Amino acid sequence: MLNILVLGLGQCGNRILDAMNREAFGRGGTFAKYYTRQKFPASVKTIAINTAINDLKGLVDTRARDRLHVPHLHGVGANRTIGKRVFEENKEIIMSEIDKRGTFDLIFIITSAAGGSGSSFAPLLIRELKETYTNAPVVCITVLPFREEGSIFLQNAAFCLKDVIDEKPTGVLLVDNQYLKKYAGDIKSAYDKINNTTARRLLFLIEALNSEMLMVTDLGDLKTVMNGGIGIGTMGFYEASKDSTIKSAILGSFKPSGLLFPTNVYKEGARAMLIIKGDKKYLDLDLITKTIEELSTEIGQVFKGVLVQRGRPRVLSLFTLNSVPELEKLYATAAEAIRFEKERRDRSRNQLDSAFSHIEDLEPIY
Amino acid sequence: MNGRRILIVVAAVALLILVLPMTVAGEEETTNITIGVNEYVVLNNDIYIEVRDVGTVGISYAEVWFRSSQDAVGTTKNLYRGDVPAIYISGTGLKIEVTLDYIFSNAASFGITSSKALYVTDRKAGKVETEPVTVPKLIIKRTIDPNEAEIGQTVKVTLTIKNTGNGTATDITLAEGTIAKTYKDGCPSTIDDIAAGATERIEYDLKIGDDVQPGTREMPASVLNYKGETGVSDSTESQSSVLEIIAGEVLLPELTISTDPIDYVVTCGDEVPMVVTITNVGNATSEKVYVKGDLPHGVRLKGGELEPIYESIKPDKSEEYEVTLVANEEGEHVVEMNVMWADEEATAVFEFRAEKSGLEKYYVYIIAAIPILLILLWIIKRRREYSY
Repeated sequence: MLNILVLGLGQCGNRILDAMNREAFGRGGTFAKYYTRQKFPASVKTIAINTAINDLKGLVDTRARDRLHVPHLHGVGANRTIGKRVFEENKEIIMSEIDKRGTFDLIFIITSAAGGSGSSFAPLLIRELKETYTNAPVVCITVLPFREEGSIFLQNAAFCLKDVIDEKPTGVLLVDNQYLKKYAGDIKSAYDKINNTTARRLLFLIEALNSEMLMVTDLGDLKTVMNGGIGIGTMGFYEASKDSTIKSAILGSFKPSGLLFPTNVYKEGARAMLIIKGDKKYLDLDLITKTIEELSTEIGQVFKGVLVQRGRPRVLSLFTLNSVPELEKLYATAAEAIRFEKERRDRSRNQLDSAFSHIEDLEPIY
Repeated sequence: MNGRRILIVVAAVALLILVLPMTVAGEEETTNITIGVNEYVVLNNDIYIEVRDVGTVGISYAEVWFRSSQDAVGTTKNLYRGDVPAIYISGTGLKIEVTLDYIFSNAASFGITSSKALYVTDRKAGKVETEPVTVPKLIIKRTIDPNEAEIGQTVKVTLTIKNTGNGTATDITLAEGTIAKTYKDGCPSTIDDIAAGATERIEYDLKIGDDVQPGTREMPASVLNYKGETGVSDSTESQSSVLEIIAGEVLLPELTISTDPIDYVVTCGDEVPMVVTITNVGNATSEKVYVKGDLPHGVRLKGGELEPIYESIKPDKSEEYEVTLVANEEGEHVVEMNVMWADEEATAVFEFRAEKSGLEKYYVYIIAAIPILLILLWIIKRRREYSY
């Protein structure tokens, strides 16, 4: 059984982690936590880490002992500089808490790139984890913000993602709020849907990695996939309808509507992993193999895992990309926002200095 | 001797009557006249009074023939001594009232009363050899001493017989009344002659049989049958007597048993002291006294000896002991205690009520609440696990 560590950093990471814990209760609903335990498909340890204690209190399905408050007022105020300093100051506490969970075969870090705590903690934590758990792949699920959330968040996202990639984790899986918000009406619903979707896909992946499969893929394959391209990827998902074939289900998982980050898989994909679950009657192995062979000609190496499970076919696709045009747009927008912010700040400073100049030669008369 | 005196007196009286006409006071005056049998006197030349017979049949009587000058047939009447006066009215209307005062062997003495003065105007008198009639009259009185006696006791019965007549009572037989299951000792059936004026005292023992039933018993009258010198029979009887027969004192032990609860209502599991007292209220020592106790279901003996044995208990003495009981179940509990001696037995019951303790009353609720509480605690625990 795989020992997997899932760390949720900052408010966004905490909530996706909480959604994973909720999903692990199964269909018990709100009260499941009062009479049952989470049933993770592997030995999964979760820790929600945050400097904002209110965010930790807001979690519902994560046990209290799995919530680590890194004390610094009530958060770092989206200030990555402060966040990094706070991490350094509390690094031993954080690592000690992680160490209590034992050793791990795979580590997921879930964080928003835009916030304060998560975005500042994530790169540093990747570094520490790589040093401490040298054999454990570290995959960072990074959530990109709504573009209109503000220049600070964009700036944080840009620098955070850069810092994360600089620390060379095993892989980075992107989740783009901007891309996904179209699937829900209001912001809260959008967040909930994004969180739940991300949580389910991670659990789907974890279950597949830990199960005996009809056609096997494993942690080694995951590492290989994540090492493909520029080490940045995303996940797609598709649940087949009653009359659809397994091939259409596989191809469905490549559709933009099923991806967590907007990309053209056929064009940008470097390596991929397909995990197919469903009733045996749907699992036409020849067709699966044939379909994957066809995909491999376009995408590159495609690993496949087939898991017999009740229900209609469900396909999780995990990609790494050779290029990420959407990131260029993001960084361009971020740079523009930074420049605009800088100019406005300079203008304001000058205006303030001009105001101060009126009293430059004067002394208070009282 | 007596007879001669009487003859002299009678002769003298007759002479005086003949010589000295008797004047009788005009208003209701009484004239005494003695007339021999088959003799007569004439009063006021009008009324003839002739005595035809005298005798005694239990009581003295005289058969008298009254006639007058205008009533030749007249009327014959039997006059009895002590009876109401006989009335005769002559043909001329002279009315006399005659009572028989005394009789002699061949004469009778009368008292004659009239509203007119009476004179003996004629008389036929022969030689009267009158002998007074002797009649015994016995009176019997019986006493029982004591008249209250226990079964088996002997009482003294005294018969006092007095002859109030003027003749000796002879051939006296006694028929003594009898109380069932009593026995006479020395009671005569015949008694010697009793002279006139004499008193005879007879005593005998009356033993009350052991099998007689106690109570008030009436002893029928004593009956005396006797004869006078003339051979006339007579009888008399005493009053009946009452004898109170009481049961004799029997020496027997009599035990009573009693129990004293300290507190009628107790709590289940608490100790209940029970004091048992055995008292000999009889008049004899009881040997080998056994006490038996019957504990009901749900009650057990915690301390003391429930069923002691006493070698003896003297009269008016008590034995007391205390045991400690414990009721395990609620409800009314009745402990039956028996004391047994000889073939006798006495019973006492010890009652008390056991109630559940305050906690026990709520056992059901507590038991029901435990799983709820556990679930609640579990929920709280789980909630705390997920609360930060």
